[in-house]
Amino acid sequence: MQNSDIDLVNIQFQLNGKPIRLSVRPFDSALAVIRDEIGLTGTKEGCGIGECGACTILVDGKAITACLMLAPQLDGREVQTIEGVAEGDTLHPVQQALLAHGAVQCGFCTPGMVMSAKGLLEANSHPTREEIADALAGNLCRCTGYVQIVDAIEELAGSPRANEAVKR
Amino acid sequence: MSLGVVRSQAIGTSIERRGTRARLRGDTHFAADLNIAGVVTAVVLRSDRPHALIREFDPAAAKSTPGYLGVFTWRDIPGRNRFGIINKDQELLVERKVRCVGDPVALVVAETEEAAQRALSKIRVVYEDLPAVFDPEEALTDAAPRIHEKGNLLGRRVVRRGSPEEALKHSDVVVERTYTTSFVEHAYLEPDAGLAYIDHNDILVVHASTQNPHYDQKDVADLLGLPEDRVRIIQEATGGGFGSKLDLNVQGFVGLAAFLVQRPVRMVYSREEAFLATAKRHPLKIRYKSGANRDGRLTAVDVTIIGDTGAYASYGLAVTSRAAVHATGPYEVPNVSVEAIFAYTNNPMAGAMRGFGVPQMAFAHESQMDLLAAELGLSPLEIRRRNALRIGSQTATGQYLTASVGIGATLDAVASRWEEARVEKQSTRAFVRRGVGIASMIYGIGNTGMQNPSTAQVELGRDGFVTLYSGAADIGQGSSTVLVQIAAEALGLKPDAIRSVIADTAHTTSAGATSASRQTYISGNAVLDAATKLHNVILTEAAMMLKADRGDLELRDGSVFLRSDPGKGVSFKDIAERASRTGLPLKWQGYFDPDTTPLDPETGQGRPYATYAFATHVAEVEVDSLSGEVRVLKVTAAHDVGRAINPLNVQGQIYSGVAMGLGLALMEEFHPGVTESLKDYHIATAADMPAVIPIIVEDPEPTGPFGAKGVGEPALIPTAPAIANAVADALSARVYNLPMNLERVLKAGISVRSAEKEKSCQGY
Ligand code: FES
Ligand code: FES
Repeated sequence: MQNSDIDLVNIQFQLNGKPIRLSVRPFDSALAVIRDEIGLTGTKEGCGIGECGACTILVDGKAITACLMLAPQLDGREVQTIEGVAEGDTLHPVQQALLAHGAVQCGFCTPGMVMSAKGLLEANSHPTREEIADALAGNLCRCTGYVQIVDAIEELAGSPRANEAVKR
Repeated sequence: MSLGVVRSQAIGTSIERRGTRARLRGDTHFAADLNIAGVVTAVVLRSDRPHALIREFDPAAAKSTPGYLGVFTWRDIPGRNRFGIINKDQELLVERKVRCVGDPVALVVAETEEAAQRALSKIRVVYEDLPAVFDPEEALTDAAPRIHEKGNLLGRRVVRRGSPEEALKHSDVVVERTYTTSFVEHAYLEPDAGLAYIDHNDILVVHASTQNPHYDQKDVADLLGLPEDRVRIIQEATGGGFGSKLDLNVQGFVGLAAFLVQRPVRMVYSREEAFLATAKRHPLKIRYKSGANRDGRLTAVDVTIIGDTGAYASYGLAVTSRAAVHATGPYEVPNVSVEAIFAYTNNPMAGAMRGFGVPQMAFAHESQMDLLAAELGLSPLEIRRRNALRIGSQTATGQYLTASVGIGATLDAVASRWEEARVEKQSTRAFVRRGVGIASMIYGIGNTGMQNPSTAQVELGRDGFVTLYSGAADIGQGSSTVLVQIAAEALGLKPDAIRSVIADTAHTTSAGATSASRQTYISGNAVLDAATKLHNVILTEAAMMLKADRGDLELRDGSVFLRSDPGKGVSFKDIAERASRTGLPLKWQGYFDPDTTPLDPETGQGRPYATYAFATHVAEVEVDSLSGEVRVLKVTAAHDVGRAINPLNVQGQIYSGVAMGLGLALMEEFHPGVTESLKDYHIATAADMPAVIPIIVEDPEPTGPFGAKGVGEPALIPTAPAIANAVADALSARVYNLPMNLERVLKAGISVRSAEKEKSCQGY
């Protein structure tokens, strides 16, 4: 993405718990930088215009669509992508719940779905089914019909593991 | 299977779907995630005219763009510039004229996507517009502009039996209505993507998001003038397809570009390009006349179907046939006249989409059933029960059904919810009306009246491990897992113990397309055939090694044991070693082609499918008669799948179908030339979903692998008509056009409110 007539912006932020420094073009999206510059391709692009949620990441713990965020806005923030969610071989409780409920089909929406669910539980560890459905309404899935996804998060929200989910 | 297997209990178990952990961790590579050194980008210059001649094409200005590598037109295509799954009527790059907005005119290759887009914007094309036609009936008139040289008729399918005209004349009640449906976008979450390069053996390798790798291989080889074995297609993780990834979308372009620039080339559609350039669901206009007698039995149907296939055929002919064959629904109808006529227009191409025309037909036949029920004073459940196909019934094509006809069982399965819901439905809020609707469906598994075989191999390696080789593309529905479960059951193994190699044309043979809900039944049978052969060989070897009678042997967890002396046995590894010393092959091929016959071209009579899936949904809705808003509260969905090999997967398919059916019913409409992206095309979200109660009915299919049939498309088919019938119940007025958007529902509601006072005979 080098382009000599454009002033690059230097940014630094925490990515999945590690500090990172980059020079980005002012108009690059956070999504493009994460996928193409940093090479973390777990975050997906389904629309590029904020409509599908496939690109959801956590920025300071809040679920954000990375395609609509400018890369310079990452400066100084704490960013988590899907690659930073599991701990080694151990899946995060949100991932574990989705696995147990058969809530993954093609899996293209899955990273974004995990991040949104995680963001929700961090803000509200015991959401109702309606709150879950509303929080995930920005994450489109064409395969699952959402039922098993919402079931998984609902079960997690009703269990003591919800607090564990928040912590991690 | 009656072989010496102790059931491994792989069947009927909801084992973890293969590859799920990696997907959850973000480790799975989809085609857009691939990157290799030196990769460059291709983009396509597309027509902004619906019908025009290309008068001038001037790429000169593009060439000075930094990073520019080439602009290619049809003249650069080394092979045959024609492709298409059934009719070879598409040009990879158009030669003389464009036939729809989005038609590919030139391929631009550059170092980066940005450079490619910049170069593309500098190409000058001068078009001479031609008159265009956007209505299929108009397209079939003599005055219409000719879109293809052979004319605008894509195809026609007739199904005729008995004397429908006569029967309708003598029927106690006759109902005739016209139904329409819209273009629908597949909206799979992963926009099409691919990456191609030429490997060190001079083979063109294409990694792609696809439902149809072996077909891709043929058409890409043809386009490039290469022998098939010089093209290798590898299916990457595919983010949904629903029929659209049966077509050649990016595969031809990346293949051509890599071939011409001799560098690795990638191409990733934006969502806008996926909307513009890939197939849609066929909009159908269905004139439906049906008759019944006082006893509630159907006497005859007379149906005309007009389909718009847009500028290219894609799977249009398959939709023509399937729509015609399924026009009567899951009912016995002694007298039938169906004519389906599909035409080319200058609209976007319509192709395969989950159900191949049957969801549209079900909207019509299920609305008709409710209308007849009302005329006859029967309940919608009762009229379906009286007419439902059963063992011994003949279908509209004259096929006798001999087993696994679970339509009655699905009606029984939803009956209690149906009754309860009708009692509960009183609404407490003014202007908000509750309604309950029921709808059923039949779906033939596999392609219509033609060969559509699958092949597979199962191999016992020298290390004692079993590997399954299948060309069946898993696009998220879970076929890879189900096929492994079938092999595991046949070999007495735990599914986890089986390795699999899937959908890579270098290592697997064709399983046919992932379409028509065919992979469980057809590829499942091919896998079972291969596994059974291997099983036999293992038994024979073990009998020799153990000096035992074959009948006394059983396969369990990778060893063969003596039943009479369970302490004695021999491992698969020992068997494999011995076999390899003696030169006995341990990789066996399986094959299955369903028992079908072609349909008679004049009458449509024949045996189009070897087996059928059945389903019934009950939808409960709330309609705001002031805003036209419909809220689906609950869907109870009973599906006869023959045998659920992985029940959690089957449930997942049912939820999925309900979501897509809800979209088809209420919100999804692609307006050619207007709809651009997910901003103006809405699919169901988590917040739109009703409670869904899936009910799995298992009426085993004797020819299916362990009794299984299929569920992928059936899941979607009854939802929209059940919602339509529920809305009609709520409003006492019917909507005849899909989707039932706010305006349509409001209009129907207004006509009711004015007739409100007369409304009294609600009870069926
Ligand atoms: S890619 Fe960001 S919301 Fe769709
Ligand atoms: S699992 Fe395919 S889009 Fe959600």
